[in-house]
Amino acid sequence: MIKVENLSVSYGNKTVLDSISLEIPTGTWTSIIGPNGAGKTTLLTSLLGMNPYSGSIKFGEIEAFRDLKRNIAYVPQRPQVPLGMTVREYVTLGRAKRDGWGRERREGKARVYETLEAMQLIGLQDQQVTRISGGELQRVLIARAIVQEPQIILMDEPTSALDLHHQIATLNQIELLKKEGITVLSTMHDITLGAMYAERIILMREGIVLLDGNSSSVIHSEELKSAFDHGISVHTLEDGHTVIVANKMRIEEI
Amino acid sequence: MSEIQLKPIWRWQWTLIAGIFLLIVCAVAITIGPVQIKTIEIIHTLLGRETILSDQERSLLIEIRFPRVALAALVGAALATSGAVYQTVFRNPLADPYLLGAAAGAGLGATIAITVARADFYPSLPIFAFIGGILAVIATFLVAGRLYSDPGSLLLSGIAIGSFATAVQTFLQQRNSEVLRPVYSWILGELTVAEWSSVRWAALYIFIALGILFSVSKILDALMLSDEEAFSLGVSPNRIRIIAVCAATLATATAVSVSGLIGFVGIVVPHIVKRLTKKATNRALLAIALFGAAFLVLADLGARTLITPAEIPIGVITAFIGAPFFLFILRTRSKNL
Repeated sequence: MIKVENLSVSYGNKTVLDSISLEIPTGTWTSIIGPNGAGKTTLLTSLLGMNPYSGSIKFGEIEAFRDLKRNIAYVPQRPQVPLGMTVREYVTLGRAKRDGWGRERREGKARVYETLEAMQLIGLQDQQVTRISGGELQRVLIARAIVQEPQIILMDEPTSALDLHHQIATLNQIELLKKEGITVLSTMHDITLGAMYAERIILMREGIVLLDGNSSSVIHSEELKSAFDHGISVHTLEDGHTVIVANKMRIEEI
Repeated sequence: MSEIQLKPIWRWQWTLIAGIFLLIVCAVAITIGPVQIKTIEIIHTLLGRETILSDQERSLLIEIRFPRVALAALVGAALATSGAVYQTVFRNPLADPYLLGAAAGAGLGATIAITVARADFYPSLPIFAFIGGILAVIATFLVAGRLYSDPGSLLLSGIAIGSFATAVQTFLQQRNSEVLRPVYSWILGELTVAEWSSVRWAALYIFIALGILFSVSKILDALMLSDEEAFSLGVSPNRIRIIAVCAATLATATAVSVSGLIGFVGIVVPHIVKRLTKKATNRALLAIALFGAAFLVLADLGARTLITPAEIPIGVITAFIGAPFFLFILRTRSKNL
């Protein structure tokens, strides 16, 4: 269980997160949604333990900044891509916490291979990571997070550069992790996709949590429309799936 | 089995090649000079066996050639390794002890030690040089504005800080003309003062610095990622950064206090090794140290043999090679680095 109480984070004079309180049960998938500048990425990096914060973030009974042994994987939206490293070497970095830096244990090697296969990256393993496409890089980042065998996985827009086929294939892999008991938190601009996989949605705007509940209740709420300035509409399809689309403005409204 | 298809990440072939290359270069450098000494006689001397060498030749070998080659190797290893580490830590292909201002800061520190504090040559000189070097690196990054500024901004601020340190150093020399000569030998970079006592002290500091750098070299992988990614992999990026920069600056400062300002070794060698091994620089650090040692032994050989009986300052030789190479890096970095 991750318990967040009155969490506030500021950069200089700017308050990015303002007194947020949340409880995230172990083994669940939570999607954080909201317009740009809502504080979604800052919430993720705060859970990682990176940002100085006031309030409390507890994993079990231990405060986040004291819990240096916890294994949290992070999939950034904008990674720093290293020079002179192959895809396979980059993915293997995910094993560092378990196997040690620069060490390759048999179990780790097998895990890397399985994950490269599952993420449809076989064939790219000896390519320089600087030379692959944006979508391939995103899958590589998720592969690195998977081989880390974390307790918690934090993903910042994990599917933004993927085509539809790879979006579903990737999210299915993450769902398998959830079934193994891993807690998943992701930010996603695609609310439809977020609602399809996450059982819970946290709706944020301007550093505060507007709504926190099960996916169905949040996407059908008035707060969701108001968070996006009523620029979206929610449609339920015949098969019961819900689709959220941006409203196209008429030319005279622009 | 599927795992067989994955090639090993850490390979040692290039380190082995670099080691053999260094041995050959050292043997050649010890042999060649105004007095030619056969390699077999050098081996006999090293093993403590009977030789046909005269006492004068033996003394030349033991008191002049050996320490000079050893010092060149130490300085080359220190400069090349610290250049590679700076490039990794600051994610900047142009970071180099000379261009970051570290070498000039170390030179100023050493000058202050001699002119103001009247410090003995060893062991206190490298400490003063280290303080000067680390302050110069910090100043360069403060002037550049942030840790990961673009290579051009970093280069310009390094040049500014380096020029300032050199100006203060020149002023101190002018004010202390009685010690002008030993200080001046650094500016152009020389290994003529090599003797066993300086080799021993330099070896102590450089081995400590390189030992630290080799022990953290694999963790330096984390510094090539964003801080959030490094943190999620269990690394405190700032702690590793501080350890690596301090150790690299200690290696640079020791090299500067013993041989003066020898530029471009820290940029030429890591880039050549990176191209040969196709590995990130921190993954080939030992090979870089060995090639750096060989590079400077060769440069020193050129310095003392090209216009015999006169000597060219070794810094001039490395600049002749390094400056065009640097321009090449500048032109190609957007495509290949």
